Amino acid sequence: MDERPTDPLVPHPRVEVDFAAFDDLVASIRTWVGSLPEWAPTRPVRATWEAVEPRLDRARRELSRLLVVGVVGGTGTGKSTLVNALAGGDVSPAGDVARPTTIAPIVVAAPDVDLGWLPLESIGARVVRSAAPAVANIVLVDCPDPDTQSLVPVGAAGADAGGGRPSDTNHNRDRLEAILPVCDVLLLVATAQKYRSWIVAREVAAFAPGRPLLFVQTHASRDHDIRADWQKQLEEEGFVVPRIFRLDGVEAARRAAAGLGPEEGFAALSRAIDEELAGRAARRVRRTGSLDLAGWFLTESRRDLDPFREPVAGLAAGVASERTRLETRLATAVTARLRAGRQAWQRLLTDELVDRWHGGPFALFLHAVAALSSLWPRGRTFGGGVIGRLLAGQPPAPTTAGRGAWQQVHDLGIGEAEVDQSRSVLVGLAARARLQEPLVGRAHLDESAVQATVGTLLERTGLWLAAGIDRLVADRRGRLDGPGVRWLFESAFSGLLVTVLVRAGYDFFYGHMWLGRPVGGAGFLQEAIVWLLLWGLVLRWLLIARLRAGLDRDIDRLVAGLREAHLVDPLLADFAAAADRAGRYLAEGERLETTCTTLTTALDEPNGGLGRLRGKPS
Amino acid sequence: MTRPQPGTAGTCASWGAIIEPLCAELTALAPLARAVGAPDPSSCAWHGQLFGKLLPQLSREQVLVVAVCGGTNTGKSLVASGMAGFAISRSTPEAARTRHPVASLPVGLSQRLDIGDLFPGFTPRRWSSDRDAIDAIAEPGEGNDILVWTDDTTGVQPAQVVLLDTPDIDGTLRENWHRAELVRNAADVIVAVLTQQKYNDAAVRDFFRAAAAAGKSVVVVFNMVDWPRQRERIGGWLATFREETGITPAAVHAAPYDADAAEAGRVAFHPLPECLPPGGGATATGAAVPGTRIVADLAATDLDRIKLNALAGSLRVVLDPVHGVAGWLESFVQQARGWQESRQRLADAARVEVTLPSAPRELVWNEIWDWLEPRRSGFDLAVSRAYRFAGRGVAWTARAVGLRRDDGARREDFAAEELAALKRALGDFVERLESACSRDERLAGVLAPRLVAGDRAAWFTDLQRRHAALPVVSADYRQFVRGELDRFARDNPATVRWILAALNAGAVARPAITVGLGLAGAAAVPAAAATAGSLSTLVHTAGDVVVGTAATLAGEGALGLTAAGLRPLVERLFAGWSAERSQVLADSIHDVVLGDAMVEIDRLATAVTRPEPERIRRLLAAAGEGG
Repeated sequence: MDERPTDPLVPHPRVEVDFAAFDDLVASIRTWVGSLPEWAPTRPVRATWEAVEPRLDRARRELSRLLVVGVVGGTGTGKSTLVNALAGGDVSPAGDVARPTTIAPIVVAAPDVDLGWLPLESIGARVVRSAAPAVANIVLVDCPDPDTQSLVPVGAAGADAGGGRPSDTNHNRDRLEAILPVCDVLLLVATAQKYRSWIVAREVAAFAPGRPLLFVQTHASRDHDIRADWQKQLEEEGFVVPRIFRLDGVEAARRAAAGLGPEEGFAALSRAIDEELAGRAARRVRRTGSLDLAGWFLTESRRDLDPFREPVAGLAAGVASERTRLETRLATAVTARLRAGRQAWQRLLTDELVDRWHGGPFALFLHAVAALSSLWPRGRTFGGGVIGRLLAGQPPAPTTAGRGAWQQVHDLGIGEAEVDQSRSVLVGLAARARLQEPLVGRAHLDESAVQATVGTLLERTGLWLAAGIDRLVADRRGRLDGPGVRWLFESAFSGLLVTVLVRAGYDFFYGHMWLGRPVGGAGFLQEAIVWLLLWGLVLRWLLIARLRAGLDRDIDRLVAGLREAHLVDPLLADFAAAADRAGRYLAEGERLETTCTTLTTALDEPNGGLGRLRGKPS
Repeated sequence: MTRPQPGTAGTCASWGAIIEPLCAELTALAPLARAVGAPDPSSCAWHGQLFGKLLPQLSREQVLVVAVCGGTNTGKSLVASGMAGFAISRSTPEAARTRHPVASLPVGLSQRLDIGDLFPGFTPRRWSSDRDAIDAIAEPGEGNDILVWTDDTTGVQPAQVVLLDTPDIDGTLRENWHRAELVRNAADVIVAVLTQQKYNDAAVRDFFRAAAAAGKSVVVVFNMVDWPRQRERIGGWLATFREETGITPAAVHAAPYDADAAEAGRVAFHPLPECLPPGGGATATGAAVPGTRIVADLAATDLDRIKLNALAGSLRVVLDPVHGVAGWLESFVQQARGWQESRQRLADAARVEVTLPSAPRELVWNEIWDWLEPRRSGFDLAVSRAYRFAGRGVAWTARAVGLRRDDGARREDFAAEELAALKRALGDFVERLESACSRDERLAGVLAPRLVAGDRAAWFTDLQRRHAALPVVSADYRQFVRGELDRFARDNPATVRWILAALNAGAVARPAITVGLGLAGAAAVPAAAATAGSLSTLVHTAGDVVVGTAATLAGEGALGLTAAGLRPLVERLFAGWSAERSQVLADSIHDVVLGDAMVEIDRLATAVTRPEPERIRRLLAAAGEGG
């Protein structure tokens, strides 16, 4: 099992790694992590990052420092015995007198190694110097065990009130958790009795991310070889296990003391330490460790965030659906109002046309009719509201505050209840994605929000409608404003006028003046004026009919463009923005994970015999 | 061997008379207790002792349950097989292989006793090989926890001793811990298999500490001892173990490490009398004894005392004022009171005012009119018809000049306004529920899943559908009006004439109406009410009778009605109409928004009034006196 086909001594054909890409990745992760602090699901991501970031930073700064190898495992597994064997002497108390044996962590380092950067005091460690070759290029730490400190804190609910037990003062696991953060590599020691220990598995899983591991089965002279089963167990827990060493610490120490060569298992471990943790290998371990840590962080973050992908997409779909619902109501109401204002359209269209027609008898006639119409006290309000005012040729009224705004918007088909409904639906969808205030507002808009949302809706709709109506009117006016049409109508009207005048002139000059017939009186002229008026009105009706023909179709075309104008967006803007921001946050997380994987592949670091935590088992 | 004496049986019977009803009461209360948020009884120490030991063992044939327990790969199976005298479960080099407990029963016991009853929580399965504990897989429909059992094949197992091998108590498979705990609860004697690596592990200490607290007798076996080199060490290890767990072992043995013997399934037990307190009973000199002898010694000493100690220990755990049933009951009562407060908080928070548009007056008046029609004199009719005709004429004119919309359009307007008011109220109600949930975790537990996971668009669609399906005047309302008017006519025969006069004079009254939507039981005196589930719509009239100045348009004229006691009647009729209209909201909320959540909250809020806690307290007091 511990005999791998690859020889770690063969130099790997790779160039020195450019850390700039990794720095960019870390900078991007930092920006990403802090980009949406208001969203609750990002909190665990931030919390994990707070623990991960200093490690990444430190690894970058201390690339050439010696690796700190923490020897961890359950009590009685022979950690101290192994450390003693590696250090070539009794640096740490070991034996079977009492459990636990190691209380304070023992830091073993070569005599000339500066340990100023290690927080020895805060972790309560004792330093022992050793000139043994195995610790010449590493710093070895004999860690306290994780399994003798009570699982339930003393005095906590559920802890029985026995009191006064020796274990009440046992803080070995706390000490272990204080020392592990400074370790770069974990040397996990287990025996046949302890390789399936739940508490050891829990502690190792918590500290393994970004820390390469060496696995060692001790008590080899007594226990069965359990490495196959242990490897299976570790792989189930998400570890990559290239090899497990098997040795007997007591035997190793005995042979060392007797001046004999080391037994095979111990020799293999010593070689692995020398080849894979010392010198240039240390830099490699830090780099792969950092990348592993970043990759682990991004994978864990994605797993934390995965449950929110579907709800965030659901919110975005909900926003689209509610927007469509409100736009449909708006379009229906606007169409109905525009179609209902036939008289207003007629006035608007003819007024426009008449204003432009001058200089002919028919134009004169139209002006005269318009002047007379304006005397007729017909109500100029066509139902009030935004559309009524626009059709009456008036500018939209300024938005009033609070409930007034709701009344103003009422004839656009979007009442308070409809907006409340849409927002309530979206509040539910947002809650599913855990998007809450302040990222999104409440279902019911308060007074200030009404001003900002409904006011904007009114303003935008007013401007859009005004532009649309102007365009429509201009388009229709254009149909009749050409010289041909004008000539036709003027000719038709002038024809009758000229005929009347010619006939009247003929009767007067030729009949009366020349032939001496008596004057016919005013009867002819009266009749002629009546016919002239009627003819003028007929022509005017034709003109208006031409102007109005296909108006409904044009109104439909105008309203069909309503969706592109995004008029109702202000009513749901907070939800749309929240869904968008959360969606971009999720996408960026995925992108960074892909970048990290690409970087890992590109660096192609040799893994050697070191294990690592790939992630939780799927 | 000592058989249980009549005194033991008597004590057991008297305890059983209390324990059985106590268990029945707790079983009845457990689902409600879980629902109110009290700690899960099955996670409490007393539950295992009560349901795992006292209930199954007090009323059955007295047997001594001896369980071999310990950490992973400490040699439990080897020790258990050594004690049984045959390989009841296979010992393997890999850790945590024993997944299920294996019981060796004395000859004949399986005919007299149902093993499943003796070990509740387990599905018994007859032993077929020593791999059963490793390989057994639960069949569909069975519980996950299997107990493999076999009859003693050697014939040396004492007649009343049941011996068990158990899964580990510290490995990565937590279900193994659970199974070991179930066996520990049922046991009278625990054989603690310790090693020099594990005797002071927290998981091991905690397991055996609980056994000591429940009065179990403990036999300690230090396994894999480097014998005799480590013999001197064992005293120190045991002292730590005793200090940590509070155990005074009945016997201590050392089983030397011997790979070849273990391979062959043999294990030697060396009694360690020096590790026992003075007068501890064992007299052995340190020479190895067979495992079966340890069991025989146990049965031969004082089986009754061991059994009674274990039962009394279990009872002590149950009666513990803090960690026992009483403590749990107290937390149940506190949680139930919390629910009462939560319900009140919800009732206060979830009260919504619905401002419905004024009812089209002719709808109600037409109903009154139809009721009156057959009761009128010819003259009255002629006059009133003239009024109606005139009224219609005025209304037609008003429509024609554009001052008044036609009835169909007005009703459409009314329906749209009413629907808008109902939708606003629904939105408001939901927002108030959300707000209540944000302040109260209990309410959030019941309501939040519905508020968050519910399809809100469907809620509004449902309300819209119900509203659209509601006729302007329903048969129910018509019946209500006639009933009210009949009653009024019976009570006020003289006034009916007056109504005619008033109507003829064209009086119209339309009270201002507000509708409150809230939880049933809200303090209010409504003019009318409609309920759906626990929700009520309470219709209040503002008390003002609106005298219609434009009454001629509806044809009823204008006259105050305050003098004749008619006002309350008219108010009631209008209120009844509004109640029916607003009920669609309550129905919608009940049927699609909340479902039975309100009923559930009501149930939890009334948990504190349940009789079980008091009955349980009485039984605990009786058990305390009896014990």
